[in-house]
Amino acid sequence: MLTVETFDTLAQAAGAMTPESRFLGGGTLIMRGVNYGDQSFQRIVRVRDRSLREIRSESGRIVIGAGATMADVMAASETSFLADVARQVGGPAVRNMATIGGNLFAPHPYGDFTTALLALDASVRLSDGSEQPIENFLSARSSMRGLVASVSVSRPMGDEFRFRKVSRVKPKGVSVMSIAVWLPRQGGRISQARIAFGAMGPTPLRAKAAEQALEGVNLDAQGIEQALSVATAGLSPMDDSLASAWYRNEVAPVHLRRVLLGEGNR
Amino acid sequence: MSSIEFRKDLFADERDDTLKEIGKPTIRQDILGHVTGRSPYFDDHLFEGLLHMRCVRSPHHHARIRSIDTSAADRMPGVRRVIRPEDVPNNLNTLLALINFGKDDEALLQGKKVAYVGEPIVAIIAETERQARDAAAVVRVDYEVLPHVLDVEEALEPNAPVVSETYPNNTFDYHELYDHQKLRFGDVEKGFAEADHIVEGRYQMSPIEQAPTETCGAIAAPETNDRFVCYTSTQALFFSLGTTAKLLDMPSSQLHFIGGTVGGGFGGKVDSLHEPLAVLGSKLTGAPVKYIFDRAEEMQVGAPRGAERWYIKDGVMNDGRIVARQFTGFFDCGAYTRLSSYAIIKGTGHLPGPYSIPNVASNVYCVYTNRTPATAMRGFGITGVDFSIECHMDKVAEAVGMNPIELRILNAYRDGDMKAHRRLAKNTALIECCQVAASKADWAISAQAAAQTSLQGGGGERAAIPETVTDQAGKIGERRRNKIPTAPGEGASAKGRVAAGTSVAPIIAVPPQRDDMIIDPARTGHRKSAAEQSPAVPSVHSAPIAPPRYTPPTPPTQAPMAPPPAAPVAQPQQQAAAVQPAAAEPYKPTEPFQKGIKRPGVSRFISGTRRR
Repeated sequence: MLTVETFDTLAQAAGAMTPESRFLGGGTLIMRGVNYGDQSFQRIVRVRDRSLREIRSESGRIVIGAGATMADVMAASETSFLADVARQVGGPAVRNMATIGGNLFAPHPYGDFTTALLALDASVRLSDGSEQPIENFLSARSSMRGLVASVSVSRPMGDEFRFRKVSRVKPKGVSVMSIAVWLPRQGGRISQARIAFGAMGPTPLRAKAAEQALEGVNLDAQGIEQALSVATAGLSPMDDSLASAWYRNEVAPVHLRRVLLGEGNR
Repeated sequence: MSSIEFRKDLFADERDDTLKEIGKPTIRQDILGHVTGRSPYFDDHLFEGLLHMRCVRSPHHHARIRSIDTSAADRMPGVRRVIRPEDVPNNLNTLLALINFGKDDEALLQGKKVAYVGEPIVAIIAETERQARDAAAVVRVDYEVLPHVLDVEEALEPNAPVVSETYPNNTFDYHELYDHQKLRFGDVEKGFAEADHIVEGRYQMSPIEQAPTETCGAIAAPETNDRFVCYTSTQALFFSLGTTAKLLDMPSSQLHFIGGTVGGGFGGKVDSLHEPLAVLGSKLTGAPVKYIFDRAEEMQVGAPRGAERWYIKDGVMNDGRIVARQFTGFFDCGAYTRLSSYAIIKGTGHLPGPYSIPNVASNVYCVYTNRTPATAMRGFGITGVDFSIECHMDKVAEAVGMNPIELRILNAYRDGDMKAHRRLAKNTALIECCQVAASKADWAISAQAAAQTSLQGGGGERAAIPETVTDQAGKIGERRRNKIPTAPGEGASAKGRVAAGTSVAPIIAVPPQRDDMIIDPARTGHRKSAAEQSPAVPSVHSAPIAPPRYTPPTPPTQAPMAPPPAAPVAQPQQQAAAVQPAAAEPYKPTEPFQKGIKRPGVSRFISGTRRR
């Protein structure tokens, strides 16, 4: 028998979580599981704390509450640099419900927003107040206890941040892959680039070899050549109904080139 | 509506434009309810104490069931009843049994051997859907996994695993004679010898799921007087009712079926899988029971349009005339027949497409594999081969360096032409369609092609049935013993010739005065008294049952679609002797087709060949 429990605070909810519980964010994944007979959980836990939806600036970083929806991100002025990413998640009905916190846990091939957060070196704050880099969070999320309270990111400059979702059906298709890049530049040359791929592994993953190959190069066809050749190093794409792992590996450098050079923008 | 352009200039004299509905845009009768959200679907009917049913399904392509242990499921919370295969009163059926075509091959719940992933074995009825799912998860089935076959041509190998014991050759038996449906018209070998080019192609399409918005399902509940009401999403209400009556061995007068809103069918809701189980569940629990596919089941277990593979070989002259066309077709019907056997008959009647080709030969196989059984979907039987034919027409156009639309116009059938299934073509509008399509697409065609019309140039010599070469390769079971070629005529030891003009006379049994007067006692569910079953009555059985228009392709009858080659029909047992020229008289059966006569001690539901 499935039960639903509602708590006033995130801390109480976190205390009530068991392996057979699922925390309800927007419900776009959990309720689908309920409707389609997911037998892996017996309890749904939710909180009625509205502050979880807040988006605010805090000491130079943007803090996005775990309960903020994609629509909230699109509407808030603080997160204008992420509006385009949020707009590419689902359709309007999904964006009105789907939360940033839920997206952090969305299994392959979902998690486009998390891919962007990974490229932006976000930091994840848990309900116990501890904070960890998103990369550490993602690598341990399947065994994680506790709940996410918020994520924080620093605002990228100008066109430093770029995102592209590759899907077969537009505008609401699921990702064949998504690519987010953060390209800080010093004197025209790239420095400390971050590249994240979504739907190219069990969680969004960084393409670290490609990041290193971009160090100190110019952002042009010649400069990125080396990065493209190692674009898929460290990724582990899967076969699914949208694309085979082989196909994903083949097209990843093509899409990465388009993102880096701003080709094919519509 | 504005996107429709009526080309009333074409065939104006063949049409009555004063009609009120035909040729005019119309509003669907149910659209108002749909767009206002008021159409009631089967799942909108609420019942106090509704129980939910879920099936335990095979995880294997092919496995023998050693044992089924449901004791843990019986003890699960909320479980009201576990239905095992032996609880189904008459647990063997084939869909087309209702029109006496084919042998019963499929169980409602399979207790002996599963032949595809997702085949139902046990049904659980519980108070909530979740409880039913949880109980289904603890049913223990002991499987002996068997080798499986998933490819149509591999399934025809002599040593291929046997998918269905009802059809041990992995092919549907056509006309109790061949493991495929034959079509022979003229002499393709002669045509190939004359041709300037031979163009061959292989075409294949995958299974296609109908993907309805509302998944297949039914709710059954007890009514008064031992009747059961069943709200269902079926596309074929009385087909489902008849199937339920047969599987549950109960008179159809006890079944009150309510349908009407289908929630998207497209062919995928004719298989009547839900109604029998829902009614059985309701009967066994005395409570209302709902059985509905979830989306994963709809995709995995719900029957799709079957996969097809076609080989086409054309003999083409330099000027683009196609003088011979040969087909070898394989329908992947999955593990059980459902409707695929009929799709092949329908597809064969369509060959060689909308073209006049003087020499045509075709072998089409209905092949059993360990895949999800295939069923109906929008034009099934035609769609796959039409895709193949039109791809091949483009290939032919390329081979002879011709404009593909002009090639089609050159070879198009015209009014009065003889089709390969020995019916005269009429109202053939392909030429006009090509011309209009070319102009809409700004595709230039020659003045000569633009001047053609389907009304002229047909008939005459083109109306003649040519001398036809026949063969008797591919008898039922032959392929199991030796590997023999699948293409028409190849490897045939016995060939025959049927003289030009030979045609089989249609049988006309005494027709009922009106169509709605056809009554089949076996289908009404009323048991007849012994007196009524006396030999004096058979005319009651036989006369009304011979359908005046649709004839199931049983050999002694003239099937309007695609008769097998005339010779085997006329003299099925004659081998080389069939070489003799035409018999003086065209073949005429001595008695009209009749359905099997009931015998004491024999189930009235045994269908097809075993009935007789």
